[in-house]
Amino acid sequence: MRHKNHLIGDFAGHTYAWASIGLAVAVCLFIIGNVAYLGADIISLEFLTQPPPANTRITTEGGILTPMIGTIILTLLGILIALPISLSTALYLTWYTKKGIIKTIIESSVDVLAGVPTVVIGLFAQAVFTQPWLGFLSTRIHIEGGLGKAFGRSFFVAGIAMAIMILPFITKAIIESIKTTPKEFPEGSFALGATKWRTVTKIVLNSARPGIVTGVVLGMGRIISDTAIVWLALGGSLRMPGAQPWYEPQNWISTLQHTGSTLTTYIFFTSPAGEGSNPILAFGAAFVLIVIIIVLNAAVAAIGLIGANKVQK
Amino acid sequence: MNEEEKNPAIKIENVNIRYGDNRVLNDVSIDVPKNSIYAFIGPSGCGKTTMIRSINRMNDFVAGFKLTGRVLLNGTDIYTDKKPQVLRKKIGMVFQQPNPLPVSIMQNMILPLTEHYRGAISHFRELAEQKLKACALYGEVKDKLDKPAFELSGGQQQRLCIARALMLEPSVILFDEPCSALDPISTHTIEDLLIELKKERTIIIVTHNMEQARRVSDYTAFFYNGVIAEAGQTNKLFFTPETELLEKYITGKFS
Ligand SMILES: Nc1ncnc2c1ncn2[C@@H]1O[C@H](COP(=O)(O)OP(=O)(O)OP(=O)(O)O)[C@@H](O)[C@H]1O
Ligand SMILES: [Mg+2]
Repeated sequence: MRHKNHLIGDFAGHTYAWASIGLAVAVCLFIIGNVAYLGADIISLEFLTQPPPANTRITTEGGILTPMIGTIILTLLGILIALPISLSTALYLTWYTKKGIIKTIIESSVDVLAGVPTVVIGLFAQAVFTQPWLGFLSTRIHIEGGLGKAFGRSFFVAGIAMAIMILPFITKAIIESIKTTPKEFPEGSFALGATKWRTVTKIVLNSARPGIVTGVVLGMGRIISDTAIVWLALGGSLRMPGAQPWYEPQNWISTLQHTGSTLTTYIFFTSPAGEGSNPILAFGAAFVLIVIIIVLNAAVAAIGLIGANKVQK
Repeated sequence: MNEEEKNPAIKIENVNIRYGDNRVLNDVSIDVPKNSIYAFIGPSGCGKTTMIRSINRMNDFVAGFKLTGRVLLNGTDIYTDKKPQVLRKKIGMVFQQPNPLPVSIMQNMILPLTEHYRGAISHFRELAEQKLKACALYGEVKDKLDKPAFELSGGQQQRLCIARALMLEPSVILFDEPCSALDPISTHTIEDLLIELKKERTIIIVTHNMEQARRVSDYTAFFYNGVIAEAGQTNKLFFTPETELLEKYITGKFS
């Protein structure tokens, strides 16, 4: 009897697991399918290669070029700033400090930061980066009488805010990965007379590669889907208002010092909930957003794989 | 006392070791003569691994590790130097589990050299082949030197690790149960290798295999509960043990 119950329990467990997986996949496919159905019509070469018109309320002309580039710029900036800090924090906490007050403080800060809503991070960025001496990160506002202020909204500012947002997640993913590294590798390295620094940077980081990749993917996803920080720290211009033409290398710095938008704020802007009334534009952009997320995930996974293969040789 | 015994390669002097509040070794003193094989035996948990790892400072990273007393290599205290990595070039170590790095056989071999010295890779490769020959491994791997080290059998991996340790020409090599994960044939190959190696080096080996201790070692120390219960020449220890404890241990009547 017991045996039979066991089998039934097993069967129920399997069914439940498969049903749950099926539901999750179905919901995901439904959303993607729905967005594709509603947004596919608008997608054309023009939609992908033209900046939006000055006013999206009236027409469906123009495209999503600048918001799309905005999403990519913020993602790259956020990862570029956060990754080195996360790596050193993770290494410090796992290899360079013993239990104690400093370790506890850093660990709790990481935990707390992970729970701070992004709108608060955006607000904080606003407060800090409007300081006049930080004006080089955005644009300076000159007021009659000499007292200046920084505008405090730009790709640089938003990129830093994004980095702060993803810092705890990347750090934690890397720490977990370092902790699961088999201790034989670093020990073998030490036994061959390698220094701690060499062992940690070569052996430990190498075997923590999956965790680093996971952390980066996680962070990219968060940056791409965030809206609050973009709204508060990047501003709301759908085009690139810096020196023109904004895409030429000599104007890149100027572009990064100016405001912009991302696909998420574009979607908000064009949706009925925002200021626009062109949901078809919103759905088109949403579709592109989902495709970018899928491609980025695949690309990062591929980079991880290539790296792993190279080490195997 | 013969000439070698007067100038030990490794001299352990009144060493006490604890991890936090846990006292693991008490007042251990051992002289390991040059060009000899010294075996550490004793029941599980008596501190053999702790002792052998303290000889090339592998315990330095362990939280709570505290050592008092002295460990001398050719007369110099190994714990006074701020840089343990310098010491580890002179005292190599082979672990219980073979631990090749996840790279090719050849890269495993030349890694220690590229880590410490500048020089032509071709010269390193030549040296690596020489060391692989010394460890009776070259014939088995000469056609797959650029294949991942993980593709070797356990016994081959362990010989690779020994060959790799030789690349830095250490004068002392520590082995912590090097054969416990291997089959009898691989074990024999490694035992022959140990005897070959002692011509130019000094060897310390931890083993649970009494036959192995008897076959390969010149001296033996019997650890019991964190102290050395008996130590001396292997022949004497095994044929005329002084303590009842050791006699029981080597005849397997230990409870
Ligand atoms: N990293 C560590 N931290 C705290 N205590 C430890 C640590 N390593 C070993 N010990 C303790 O030290 C004692 C001796 O352990 P050790 O590994 O040296 O024994 P051993 O003789 O090598 O045993 P075995 O034959 O099973 O390998 C044990 O009581 C163990 O619990
Ligand atoms: Mg042990």
